This record gives sequence, C-alpha cells and structure tokens, in this order.
Amino acid sequence: MATARVNALYVRRRARNTIAKSLAYAAAAFGLGWLVLILAVLLFHGVGGLSLSVFTQNTPPPGSEGGLLNAIVGSLAMTLLAIAIGTPIGILAGTYLAEYGRHDKLSSIVRFINDILLSAPSIVVGLFIYEVMVAPMGHFSGYAGAVALAIIVIPVVVRTTEDMLRLVPDTLREAAASIGLPRAHMIVRIAYRAARAGIVTGILLAVARISGETAPLLFTALNNQFWSLNMNAPMPSLPVVIFQFALSPYEEWQKLAWTGALLITVTVLALSILARSLTARRT
Amino acid sequence: MSIASSNASMTVPVATHTGVNAAGLSEKVSIRNLEFFYGDSRALKGINLPLYANKTTAFIGPSGCGKSTLLRILNRMYDLYPGQRATGQVMFDGENLLDAGVDINLLRARIGMVFQKPTPFPMSIYENIAFGIRLYEKLPRSEVDARVEHALRRAALWDEVKDKLAASGLGLSGGQQQRLCIARTVAVKPEVILFDEPCSALDPISTAKIEELIDELKQDYTIVIVTHNMQQAARVSDFTCFMYLGDLIEFDVTEKIFTAPTDKRTQAYITGRFG
Amino acid sequence: MSEVALNDTNVTAGAGVTRASALNRLRTTDVAFRTLTRIAVFTVLALLSGVILALIIGSVPAFKAFGFGFVTTEVWNPVTEKFGALAPVYGTLVTSFIALVIAVPVGLMIAFFLTELCPMWLRRPIGISIELLAGIPSIIYGIWGLFIFAPFVQKYIQPFLIDTFDGVPGLQDVFAGPPYGIGMLTAGFILAIMVLPFITSISRDVFDAVPAVLKEATYGLGCTTWEVFKHVILPYTRVGVIGGVMLGLGRALGETMAVTFVIGNAHTVSASILAPGTTISASIANEFTEAVGDLYTSSLIALGLILFVITFIVLAIARYMLLRLQQKGR
Repeated sequence: MATARVNALYVRRRARNTIAKSLAYAAAAFGLGWLVLILAVLLFHGVGGLSLSVFTQNTPPPGSEGGLLNAIVGSLAMTLLAIAIGTPIGILAGTYLAEYGRHDKLSSIVRFINDILLSAPSIVVGLFIYEVMVAPMGHFSGYAGAVALAIIVIPVVVRTTEDMLRLVPDTLREAAASIGLPRAHMIVRIAYRAARAGIVTGILLAVARISGETAPLLFTALNNQFWSLNMNAPMPSLPVVIFQFALSPYEEWQKLAWTGALLITVTVLALSILARSLTARRT
Repeated sequence: MSIASSNASMTVPVATHTGVNAAGLSEKVSIRNLEFFYGDSRALKGINLPLYANKTTAFIGPSGCGKSTLLRILNRMYDLYPGQRATGQVMFDGENLLDAGVDINLLRARIGMVFQKPTPFPMSIYENIAFGIRLYEKLPRSEVDARVEHALRRAALWDEVKDKLAASGLGLSGGQQQRLCIARTVAVKPEVILFDEPCSALDPISTAKIEELIDELKQDYTIVIVTHNMQQAARVSDFTCFMYLGDLIEFDVTEKIFTAPTDKRTQAYITGRFG
Repeated sequence: MSEVALNDTNVTAGAGVTRASALNRLRTTDVAFRTLTRIAVFTVLALLSGVILALIIGSVPAFKAFGFGFVTTEVWNPVTEKFGALAPVYGTLVTSFIALVIAVPVGLMIAFFLTELCPMWLRRPIGISIELLAGIPSIIYGIWGLFIFAPFVQKYIQPFLIDTFDGVPGLQDVFAGPPYGIGMLTAGFILAIMVLPFITSISRDVFDAVPAVLKEATYGLGCTTWEVFKHVILPYTRVGVIGGVMLGLGRALGETMAVTFVIGNAHTVSASILAPGTTISASIANEFTEAVGDLYTSSLIALGLILFVITFIVLAIARYMLLRLQQKGR
C-alpha cells in the first residue's frame, strides 16, 4: 500500500514539474513574441514610408507630403552635443570611483546617487532643465535639449567606466607605478587603453539610450517645423516629431511617425548589438 | 662567491645580527627596525637588513612570511593601497625612503620592479620601453631608438623582437613578456631592481634565461629577488635572507645559509621540512 | 658588457637635473588630473541635489496654495486654477501595480527557463533578445500601443473581461465598461512588457549565482527541476529578486511616453481599470508646454517632485537589496 501512495504523490509531483516547465517555455515565448511582434509591426508600417524624400525633405505642414530631414539633423546635433558634454564628465567621475576613491566614503555615496540617476524618470530631468535653463533664458533651445540628454548620458558612462576600469588587473597598475609613472599617467596611458573597448561600449549604450529619449526634450528643445541649425532656438528631434505626428489626425503625419519609429528602433538596436559585440570579444 | 676579492675598499658597519663579514661591501640600502602593518595586523617585525651594492640578495621563506611585503616596501608599492603603513627606516643613499616628503615616482624610477606575472602594457613592444624613457627624459627619436635597443639587448630579447617592434607586447610568449618587462625596467635606468618571484609563471627554459640575465645585471645594479624556489635562490644570489612569520630569522652569504645555517628554522626550511 | 655598464652609470649621474624638471611637470599634470576627476564626481553629486532643489523650489507655489491637500484632491481644473494630485498619483500606482502583477511571474519564469531549462547554445541569444526589449525606446511602445495594441484590447480583451466579471461582486466594478481600448489596463500591460527585461535579467544573474553544489544536493534528494527552483533557488535569491522587482517598479513609475499614448489623459479616479486615467509623468508630458499661469506650472512641477520622491524611495530600496545580496556573496 505504501508504494501506491508514494507513486500517486510522485505522479503529482511530476505533473507539477511538467506544468511549471511548460509555463516557463510559454513565458520565454511570450517575451520573445513581443520583440518579434513589435519589430514586425514596425517594419510593416514603417518600410512603406521609407523613401529618399524622408532624408531630403523637412517635416511637412498638415495634409501634405514631406520628410524628416530637420528632425534627423536636430536629433544628431543634440545627441552629439550631449555626448560631448556627458562623456568626459562621466569618464572622469567613473575614473575617480575606480582609481582614486575605490574605498572611500565619497565614492560609495556617489555610486548610490549615480545608480539613482541611472534609473530616475527622464521627464524629471526635463523639468529640471526647464527650470535652470529654459526659464532663465526665456526660450526653448537645442542647447537645453542637449544638456538634458547629457544628464542622462553621465550616469551610464560613469557606471560602465568604473566597471571596466575595475577589470584592469592591479598588477598592471603596479607595473606602471614601478617605472615611476605617476597615477594620472598610469590611468590615461595604461588603464584607459586596457579598458578602451569597455568604455566605448558604455558610450555606445548611452547614445542608444538618448537617441530614443523623448520626455526630456518635450519642454527643453521643444520642436520646430523647419530646417534649423541654430542650437539657441527650439530644435526638432525625431522622437518629439514622432510623438506629435502619431497623435495627430493627419494620415501623412502618422505615416511619417511610423517611418521615424522604424529609423530610431533600427538605430538603437544596431547600437546595442554593436556595443555588446565589442565587450563580448574581450571576455 | 668571493666577498674577500671584492674590489671596493669602503667599509661599512657590520649588520649586527648577521655573520656577514661586510668588509669591502658597500650598503646600497639599509633597512633598520622596519615594521609593517596591514590595518592593525603587523606583517613585519623589526627587520634589520643591509642590501649590498652590485650584489644579489634573495628573500626566502614559506608563504606569508613577509618576503613579498618587504620587497614591496622598498619601492613603496604599498602606497597604492589604503590602510597599509610602514615604520622604521629604509635608508637609500642617505635618505629614509619611508619619509613622507620622498617623491614616490622618482623613487620608483630609481628602484625598479619586475613582477611575478609578466605585465606588458597594452601597447607595442617599442612603446612598452620608450614610454618609460620619455617620462623622465626629452630625447631625440634616434636616441630613444638607441636606448630601446640597448634595453632590449640587456634583456636578451633584441634578436627575437627586432623585426616586430611595432607589434603588440601582448603577443609575445610568457618568457619573452617577462624579459620585455625587465627591459622596460632597465630602460628607466634604475639603481636597484626588485624581482618578485619573476619565474613562477614561466617554463624551465625561460626561467634559465631570466636567471642568466639576473646574474649579468648585477654588474650594474643592486638586485633583490623574492623566490619560492630554493634552488633558484642558491643559483642566483650572493646573499640570502630567510624570513618566517614576519621575522627575519637569518641573513648571510648564500653559501652559508644553504650549507651551514645557524638557526634551526632555517635548516628545517631549506631541507624541506616545512613551507 | 663593460662598455654598456659605463654608459649606464654616465647617464644616471647626469640624469639628476633632467629628472627633477621632468618630475615637476609630471607632478603638476598628476595633481591636475586628480582634481578633474574630483570635480566630475562632485558634478554627479550636484546633479542630483540640483534636480531635487529645482523641483522643491518650483513646487513651492503649488504647495503654498493647496497645502498638503494637493496630494489628496482629485480636482484638476486649469480654468479655475484648482489642482490636486490624487488622480495622477492613483493612476501611476495602479498602472505600475498592473505592470508588476504581469511582469513579475512572467519575468521569473523566463529567468527560470534561461538558467535551468534552455539549451546552452540558446541561452545567450535568447537572453540578449529579451534584453533588447529594454533597449527599444519608450516612444516606440507608445505608438505601437496606440495603433496596434489598444484596438486589439478594445475589440477582444475588454469586452471579454466586462462580460466575464459582470455580476461578480467587487470585481464587476474593477472591470466596468465601456471598452475604450485605451486606459489604465492597456497602459499597465505595455509597462509590463517594458519592465519585463529588467526583472528577467536581474533574476537571471542572481539565479546564476546560486552555488552549483546547493542545486546538486537538492537534485540528489530526488527533487524535480521545478522543486529545486521553488524550494532552493528562489528562497536563496529572494533578496536579489526583490531588488530586481523594485528596479523594474522604479522604471514603471517614471515611464512617460509609452503611457502618455495609451492612458487616455483623464484626471479622474476610477475604480475600473478599463477606464481612462492619467499618470504623473503623462500629465506633465501632455500639459507642461501648454500650462499657462504660474500655479498651473508649479502644480505640474509639484507632481514631478512627488514622482521623484516615490521613485527615489523605490530605487533606494532596490539598491539596498542588491547591495545586501552582493555582500552576502562575499
């Protein structure tokens, strides 16, 4: 009798195991399914609108055909400036955390704060820049947009720089010190070189992150229907144009929004994959 | 081993607790009452030791005896890490190198170090060496070239790498990398070279080459070597210092340490009874 | 060799002067670089304090006008200049809650799949694919949600939910019609997909850190894969998993664009999760540039402050949990 009871229990346990496993497979399929579905829909709606005019014409007035040239250029300009501002600050701060202040109190505080900044709502960054730049200057501007994006770049770069410098073995630091190399020169000439791939990965991830950011631009750079390279004036960007056009009732605008969405997604995914392959090769 | 036939005529005080007849030897570095702390724990206890110019001194002892710690005090490598400190005196050319005012980078340029594992910098073979030279001297390109060649020759590496100086230093074999590191150290023109178990990661053939090299370098430099390998200590050194649990147990002419040690612990160690 | 030796000593003797000057140069750049890194570190500190300070200063007029009642009032009327944060706060919490209810079990199951069931050669590609979901910009989720997902929800899911729970006490109010398509459930669902990769990747990392011997010992008792997961892996990594979930929650709370597209932007507190609502970030995104008058602007900034405080607390807990796990690991 005893064996019969154990068997029944065992059968139940095995059934439970099978069910759980199936659920796990289903969950993985669910996750992957969304990725496929989102990409498929983007391709379906976005490819149709892809034509040369997207890259040669500016955003059109309601009800007419046009392109996304000014938005693409605006995005590029603000992204570049944001990277130019955010990367040096991020690398230097990451260097302090990994090299000079590895164990000090200041570093653990900054590490914590950096992690908060890393996941803080990006719309709050927009509000901050509105208050400290847009309001005092009296107008929206590409500069304000770029600074807002730079604030998002900094924590990403700080984190990856610190992580990558920590992978540089201490023996290399000691070897550099042993020929009389001061700390700063060791860091710049040896440690940065050894961690180069990782640091570049961090910058690429930061570019990927900000090239799709919309919220911090809404009330810093605002938008602009026309061709403009003046960063001291409102500036268009791809994400904000998509936001505006997608929510509009005009079919041409919606179509352009899908095309823009496809462009951004392809860019972002390409950047993330490139970044991953850079670090994968090292390890 | 022929201390008596050393040509220098300068006499220096005989180190108190050793049997070395110091006549004719010049003390390049004198360690006096040296203590070392990792945080609160004392890793070295009242070390007194002379390091003679143009001689090779070996530090031996079981793991954790403090021999590497002692070596790393000589170029103040411990300064890189918080919570480590040394007290006492390490006199180097009339100056206590433990003093706060000592310029550490200059000190390290004068007292070079070769590590356990080869540590080539992530750059070309040429740059690995030229890099250190350019730090302290502004030289025309031709002179840097000459110095690089000289350093590589001294490290017995020139013939193997002369055709690929622009290649990465990371592409060399382990033994070649270690000789590159020696060349790099030599290029900075140190007066003392510290070797921290330089052969422990190498094959026997590479080891033999490095040992030969150490023997040659001693003509120009004062050499200190930490080693786990007692045969190696016997082969390359003139003096040997045996350490145990942070104490310096015995310091003497290498021959004497390995044939007639005075301390029982030394005898136990060299006959392989512990460690 | 003797020639070389001579050469060596010569240079050493003459090098004293050049070395001293070289040393000065090196020392200056050394100090300068160190100072630069310190400035950068303080910039990071200043950024966070700057954000907090700017939000506090900006929201002073709103809190002066409405007091603490700002948080508990539902009214949001730009015409009469009466503002209360209840509806957006409520919407933020409800949508994030929905997101977690969906994303936590699914994320954990995916991590279970990736660490215990998936064939080795598929682990990396599938893991990366899931992580790519996190890389897709939120505006893409928004446009996708508005045009594809919301109509689908309106046509199939909402009518089904309304019919199913009609007449069930309690639940019939939660799933009350009419089916708009957009609303809090749709927003929560899209948030779930967005935070899924965060929960999955952190869970996977902590599951991977479970010592193999522990798992083997449990298998050795005759346990099934699921039992090993449930009784050993999950309890062992509990702290890390909670940290990952909190991190996901932090994301969901502050997410703006995806929600703005599908939430419906109604400043109402509704029991039904099918009804349109609003969240803090959606309100700010939608109204900030149109806000006229200091009080309106200030009220929106006050919303931002509330959001920041909530996410700060959630993220701080997340970091604390993950840090504790790290220390345990050592």
